[in-house]
Amino acid sequence: GFIHTDPLKVVHTDGEPKGEIFTTSVTFYNILFVKLLGDLLREKPQEADGIDSVVVVDNVPQVGPERLEKLKNVIHKIFSKFGKITNEFYPTVDGPEGLTKGYIFLEYGAPTQALEAVKNADGYKLDKQHTFRVNVFTDFDKYMSISDEWETPEKQPFKDFGNMRHWMEDPDCRDQYSVIYESGERTAIFNNDAKDPIVSEERARWTETYVRWSPKGTYLATFHQRGIALWGGEKFKQIQRFSHQGVSLIDFSPCERYVVTFSPLMDTKEDPQAIIIWDILTGQKKRGFHCESSAHWPIFKWSHDGKFFARMTQDTLSIYETPSMGLLDKKSLKISGIKDFSWSPGDNIIAFWVPEDKDIPARVTLMQLPSRQEIRVRNLFNVVDCKLHWQRQGDYLCVKVDRTPKGTQGVVTNFEIFRMREKQVPVDVVEMKGDPESKTAFAWEPNGSKFAVLHGESPRINASFYHVKNNGKIELIKMFDKQQANSIFWSPQGQFMVLAGLRSMNGALAFVDTSDCTMMNMVEHYMASDVEWDPTGRYLVTSVSWWSHKVDNAYWLWTFQGRLLQKNNKDRFCQLLWRPRPATLLTQDSIKVIKKDLKKYSKIFEQKDRLSQSKASRELVDKRRSMMEDYRTYREAALQQHHEQKIARLQLRGGVDTDELDSNTDDWEEETIEFFINEEIIPLGE
Amino acid sequence: MSYSCALQKPILLQGHERSITQIKYNREGDLIFSVAKDTVANVWYSVNGERLGTYNGHTGALWCVDCDWDTKNVLTGSADNSCRLWDCETGKQLAMLNTSSAVRTCGFDFSGNIIMFSTDKQMGYQCFLNYFDLRDPQQIEDNQPYLTVPCAESKITSAVWGPLGEFVIAGHENGEINQFSAKSGEVLKKVKEHNKQINDIQTSVDLTMVITASKDCSSKLFDSTTLDHIKSFKTERPVNSAAISPIMDHVVMGGGQEAMEVTTTSTRIGKFEARFFHAAYEEEFGRVKGHFGPINCVAFHPDGKSYSSGGEDGYTRIHHFDPQYFDFELEA
Repeated sequence: GFIHTDPLKVVHTDGEPKGEIFTTSVTFYNILFVKLLGDLLREKPQEADGIDSVVVVDNVPQVGPERLEKLKNVIHKIFSKFGKITNEFYPTVDGPEGLTKGYIFLEYGAPTQALEAVKNADGYKLDKQHTFRVNVFTDFDKYMSISDEWETPEKQPFKDFGNMRHWMEDPDCRDQYSVIYESGERTAIFNNDAKDPIVSEERARWTETYVRWSPKGTYLATFHQRGIALWGGEKFKQIQRFSHQGVSLIDFSPCERYVVTFSPLMDTKEDPQAIIIWDILTGQKKRGFHCESSAHWPIFKWSHDGKFFARMTQDTLSIYETPSMGLLDKKSLKISGIKDFSWSPGDNIIAFWVPEDKDIPARVTLMQLPSRQEIRVRNLFNVVDCKLHWQRQGDYLCVKVDRTPKGTQGVVTNFEIFRMREKQVPVDVVEMKGDPESKTAFAWEPNGSKFAVLHGESPRINASFYHVKNNGKIELIKMFDKQQANSIFWSPQGQFMVLAGLRSMNGALAFVDTSDCTMMNMVEHYMASDVEWDPTGRYLVTSVSWWSHKVDNAYWLWTFQGRLLQKNNKDRFCQLLWRPRPATLLTQDSIKVIKKDLKKYSKIFEQKDRLSQSKASRELVDKRRSMMEDYRTYREAALQQHHEQKIARLQLRGGVDTDELDSNTDDWEEETIEFFINEEIIPLGE
Repeated sequence: MSYSCALQKPILLQGHERSITQIKYNREGDLIFSVAKDTVANVWYSVNGERLGTYNGHTGALWCVDCDWDTKNVLTGSADNSCRLWDCETGKQLAMLNTSSAVRTCGFDFSGNIIMFSTDKQMGYQCFLNYFDLRDPQQIEDNQPYLTVPCAESKITSAVWGPLGEFVIAGHENGEINQFSAKSGEVLKKVKEHNKQINDIQTSVDLTMVITASKDCSSKLFDSTTLDHIKSFKTERPVNSAAISPIMDHVVMGGGQEAMEVTTTSTRIGKFEARFFHAAYEEEFGRVKGHFGPINCVAFHPDGKSYSSGGEDGYTRIHHFDPQYFDFELEA
């Protein structure tokens, strides 16, 4: 091998600089360094200092002398951004007439400029085949001094959190939900049983504000002044902690790989820390971002598979990819006037809209990622506002357009329905007739092709149901008028839904089966502020939160048909959230088979239900029996003492025995009082 | 599994223009006394609701009323800073004891010879529990109680006498219950099972137990001598008053929020209910609707065959139980 203290003062045994010298433990950089050394020495640089200002650029196209000038110009253009290039060297193969070797040396005026070049140009994609690798020359020295001794990294103890999907293994398939009550002092996790909730875990001050479940239900996130904590597994152990002082909002990536935290406190120009993206499993901070306002949280919207996340700023759409956390194609998209965007929940497609600009009409664009290909553009005229509503599987996009048609004053609402699964994405329009000033609410049926719309002003609010059919038509199936409703809640499995009049509408609830649009039940939970379907669509919870109403704080459990099962009063109840379920592991075929055999399963379940009912009755009866025994025992002792005090009582009342109401009949007075009872007219007659 | 207390038509006592603050039966149950914020104290025949008369004199809202065991004297306490003694039959005012602040709770002891009353913490004056011996006219004349107990920490909000006149059981604003000796004034026993104000305390007819009604939406049964906590009855509304049935293992509770706290316009008409709980099982088994506002006071007739409730609406309703009530049983 060779000894080096100063790379330029290598001494070789035969006095001639050798091009290739190998040691037994050679790394890629070793080889490169040695090659470079040979080239450098041939040039015979005189100055020993200035080495710190030299960068090596690798993966440069290899060109012949006729194209060398052009190459040099391109390189110059890119690299002179970072400082004045004082020297450059393009080594060639086999003499100056050969191709360039594919790596070059550039010298800057100062080491800081060299560092800038490395920071910004490393990874620069010149073209499909050439992505620059830029290093400061002195780095090679660093890599050369890597110890030959391999030190095994210290083994971290394995943290076993147990089965993170434990709750899914409940033999009775009970879903879980979190409840925050006592105005935030207590948080409990319950298993949902139709008879009574069963406590799984309960802790005081588990969170300082509220809680959130991760999208697949694996983690429960709690909030603290110093940051957030994630809990999971059978015993809800603390899985991970993320330090973000003053955190107020969080969001998870759909795949549960990342969590995004926001704190209004932590933001400086040099080190943007308002929004931080973390890797959940390693706990690492992946990237920090600046944030102007958290008004529309989440600021970053995730693609359904977690491969991308994007945010919108003035005239810009920035799309980042994971796991690098870098901008896709290293740049943001300039979209002048962009007002809103949203990911398809089923594919990596972004929908966004821009308002009209002089002669150019407003338009909605569908863009495929990562290709950035615009697969559909739709022009809209006289637009006041647009809202994007994706169907749960990404099969349809609804753009609710508020327009002021030419020559009119009022605002009309249209729904532009994009059929995503059909070639060239055809668009159908549904016009909302009626009072243009009224508000509307819109919601897609999950797993289906229907949507519901609430429109009109109280008390003339109408609920309309539409079906997007395969033949290109959108049919109005049914309209219910004069509804007490301001919100639409579809079952997560589709078909069933609830029209709710929350808060100011006093908790009116209408349960609808949309397969034939019948009203199954009309009920009420007075002053209900929230409605939450369980993930299976079997149960519905309505609740009165202490955060919006200071009395009657409770959550009620209903079946999907609107039959009331439980009323759960909780002192200062605040929030109930169902634990989400991960996607089913069953294939479509196995589901079909199960549905076929449903009768067989029904019988088994009914028997089980009957058994548990009678078991409950027996338990209740036993409990009552023991309570009565205790009470009787106490009463006997109390009466015994009462008996012993009889003499004292007689003394206090001058010998008059008043222990029973009729103990002292001598003193009674008889009094006759007449009462008017009834009047009857009796005709005197034959 | 509940009994919806279908009762005979209730007797309505209309004689107050403002909310009822307390109602009380005399020992034999033929009379029922009602006091209200309208400064009026009435006495009625409980059998038919006919009014016997009024005790006139108070100039402020009345907070409490009591009748001695022999139905000879009546005691009332008022926001006009006086506690007054009356002759029950004639309605004549026998004594007026002036205080520095409103009289919140009052009562005759078992013998009828000693009276106690507590004053509110108001206008810089703290809460006091006062004892007078009626056998010593000088105390009344000089307005000098033989014993005054200051309550510096938390004011007394409701109080009853113990079984033999040895102590007073007081409920406080902070949910505490204390036994104050009638001889020395010292605290003989104390417990804290409620965490909010005690709105009412009542004794069982044999005086062995007391029931509390609290703003913390629960009612609790205690042994009156040991203050052992025997049972709890939980609801989702503040409880204003509770009473123990003289003949069944039942308790009745009345409550609801104060009118001032109701911020929505659509309050439920007639939806304030008296609620019946099984005393041993702690389970609710029946409700009676009818009041147009929160219920402020409930009381069982000493024979246990009827009960009364006085409400924020100014009405007192007397309900007689139908035979089903006595036969109703929870499966055990």
